[in-house]
Order: sequence, then C-alpha cells, then structure tokens
Amino acid sequence: MNREISLERFAAIVDAYGASPMRWPADERGAAEALLAFSADARALLDEARMLDGVLAAAPVEVPSDALVARLMAARPRPATPVPAGKPRSIFRELISAIWPYGSPAIPAGALAASIMLGIALGSVSEIAVLNGSQIAAASGESEADERLIALALADIDWPEEWIQ
Amino acid sequence: MQEASDDELVAAVARGDGQACAVLMQRHLGRIVALARRMMGNQADAEEVAQEVFLRVWTNAEKWEPGRAQFGTWLHRVAANLCLDRLRRQRNTVDIDEMPDLVSGDPAPDQRLEADELAARVEAALQQLPERQRAAIALSHYQGLSNIETAEILEVSVEAVESLLSRGRRQLRTLLATEKDGLLRSRETSA
Repeated sequence: MNREISLERFAAIVDAYGASPMRWPADERGAAEALLAFSADARALLDEARMLDGVLAAAPVEVPSDALVARLMAARPRPATPVPAGKPRSIFRELISAIWPYGSPAIPAGALAASIMLGIALGSVSEIAVLNGSQIAAASGESEADERLIALALADIDWPEEWIQ
Repeated sequence: MQEASDDELVAAVARGDGQACAVLMQRHLGRIVALARRMMGNQADAEEVAQEVFLRVWTNAEKWEPGRAQFGTWLHRVAANLCLDRLRRQRNTVDIDEMPDLVSGDPAPDQRLEADELAARVEAALQQLPERQRAAIALSHYQGLSNIETAEILEVSVEAVESLLSRGRRQLRTLLATEKDGLLRSRETSA
C-alpha cells in the first residue's frame, strides 16, 4: 500500500539517497514514485539529484589484484589431515603414547638416548674425577688454609632455621 | 558450488574446501575492496582491509552460525569497522599538503585523462568528508545497501543514517560544483 508523501519529504529523500528509486527507503519508494508522476517540482528535484549521482559515478573502481587473491588462497584453511586406518597399535605403542601423547615417541626416546651417550662420552675423555676432601687438599698443595676451607665446605652445618624455611 | 548459498560456502571453507574459498571471494571480494576503496581513498589500503576481512572469514568460518545474519552484510560491517579504525589512527598523521587538490589542475587534453581526472577529484572529495558521512555514502550510495542495513552496520538509527547521507551529499555537491557544471554542460552540448 502506498501512503502519500509531501514534496518536502520527497526532497529529503532525494537529498539523502539520490535520484535512483532503488536507493530510497523501501517503505516510501512507491509513494515517492507516485508523487513524481504528477509533480513537476518533484521531477526538478530528481534532476538535480541525478546530476550529483552522475558525478559520483565517476569515482574510480579497480578489481582486486591477482596478488591479493593469491595471498588469500595461500592463507585459506586446509582440510584436517585424516588419521590413516591401519592395523591396531601394539601394547608397547599404546604405553609409549600414554607416557608421551604429543606425537612420535621416537622424539623423546631419541633425545634421552643421545643425552646418555653424550654424558658417557664426556665422562670417559675428561679429567674430571670425583675426589674426597683429603685428595682435593693434596692436589692443591696441602696448605692449611685450603684444608680449612675444604673442611668448612664439607662440614655438616646446622643451618639456621630461617634460612631453610 | 556456484549455486551454493553463502552459509553453505562458509561451512565448506571451515572444512578446508579451497573451491568454496574461491567462490566466496569471487562473490564478495570485489565489493569489499570497492567499499574499502571509497573509505580509504586508495587501492593499496583497500586491499589490505579486504585481506584482513577475508582472513577473519578463514579464521572464524567454524564459528559462523547459518541464518543468524546475512553473510554479505556481516562482511560489510567488518570492513567498515576496520576502515573506520584505520582512519581514526591515520587522522593525526595526514599531511595536509598531501591531500589531493580539488580546484587546481588544467583540463586534460584527451578524454581518457579527463575521465581519470574526474575520478581523482571525486575520490578526493569523498576523502574530505567526515568519516561517518563517508561510510554512510559508501554503504548506501556505492554499495547499494538499504538504509536499514546501513544503520545496522554503523550502529545508528535509520534517521541518523539519513542525516549522515544528506550532510555528506550536500558537502559533495559543494566540493564537486565545478564537475557538476561540467557534466551539465556536456549533456547540453550532446543534446
């Protein structure tokens, strides 16, 4: 149903939305078009608005670049990797998976083995040895001061309670 | 795939369907770039905004609820908000000397240059509008969204949209008076 609109309201419509009825408010479009049919003033307002629309239509238009499309396609979501349906896992693999649920158990196992081997190799080639207090004193010239220092370091000390807490 | 609805395409995007991504871009990317171009005033910034919009689509496709909103309107809302955010950040850093000159410049010798010149002047005039007036004109006039959709995107009333549009068009009429007269003269000559 088309309700009538005043010339003043028609002027406000074309002032805001321009000359194309497609842009006019849907609930007033019919009434505005009806007014045009018999109002020369309405048609003059429409011509004025059409002129500005014509200028605005000259605004530049560029299609999206191929580079943009390529970037977006490269960043698109990917399908989730399906879990291969194979033979059921062994108890050993289940156990490893329970201990290390983050992926291949070869990773932590390999790292552990490598660190053990490195430790053994370093221990066998270095001159570092485990010495007791008296051996250390002998190695460092058996000075009394050294002995006192070592004795102090190795002594069982009753640490004040507040240090421990 | 071409006949699929936007909602169906977004669901397929969430599953990692590359063809759905391509169709969704084919359907909407050009319009989002055009909106951002009207708002930002240059193609490089417009493409950056459009890229951000679609990256959000890729990231949030799983959370899209079909039927809750029009996908196209949602895209426009995201794009308009990103543009307004960027414009706010740029506001204090724009050098007035870098603004395009609307009144200087001799008429170009051939028609192609004339068209380019006119396009540049219209774009420059749009850039002189306050951001929200520009957004209203970009959404309503250039993108063809209804006054209700424009109001939803800008989070204002329909009356406020109408006011933004009126003030924007009035300012454009003043800024582009020379171009409007030129268009009128050329029509009279060709008639």
